[in-house]
Amino acid sequence: MVDKGQVISLCRFLLRAGRQYPDYNIREYAKRRTLDGFRVNKNLTDHSKVEGAYAEGKKQLEVVERVVKVYLAYPPKTKNIMELKLQ
Amino acid sequence: MASLSTSSLSFKAPSVQSTRTSQVLRKPLSFQPISFGRFQSSKNLRLQISCAAKPETVQKVSDIVREQLALSADTALTAESKFSALGADSLDTVEIVMALEEKFNISVEEADAQNITTIQEAADLIEDLAQKKPAA
Repeated sequence: MVDKGQVISLCRFLLRAGRQYPDYNIREYAKRRTLDGFRVNKNLTDHSKVEGAYAEGKKQLEVVERVVKVYLAYPPKTKNIMELKLQ
Repeated sequence: MASLSTSSLSFKAPSVQSTRTSQVLRKPLSFQPISFGRFQSSKNLRLQISCAAKPETVQKVSDIVREQLALSADTALTAESKFSALGADSLDTVEIVMALEEKFNISVEEADAQNITTIQEAADLIEDLAQKKPAA
């Protein structure tokens, strides 16, 4: 049975992994998507659905970690305009 | 620091700590005069951790919480406000802790992160980690 603590841990791992992207766009997307994904399934009570969602979350975590390595190998040369402070 | 005679725990900025006596005095009052001088000079890290966080830290934490939970400007945010009382569920708490990590450039452990329930606890943890970092 997947308990609440595990779900919260998974959310935290996903958010932390998503933070490592050097590219602004995918970094923001990862954060937005994980939070949306967890919020949509927030009120699930059916045990099998919860397990399914948790398994999918774990799969996505593997994907994120793998893709982060690829992105880190080719970091962007310039900063995205959204990252520049207003002057 | 001429604060040996006062009853508030004032290892750092003396003027600030007077409001926090009720919270900070976890150690019995008699303990203070004995070890105060020694701790002051050796800057014992262990005791500093149990001190209340600075008000600037609490203020910054409050600002982040206010922004994350989209609270209106007139909702009163005290150091003792619980996140759940402000309408935050566990996911919101995770988001808040992440935002705090980014803002203060610290890394919160799993176990610590699950125990944060009020603004004061968050501020204390931040101060704790900010102190440990330069020492490491």
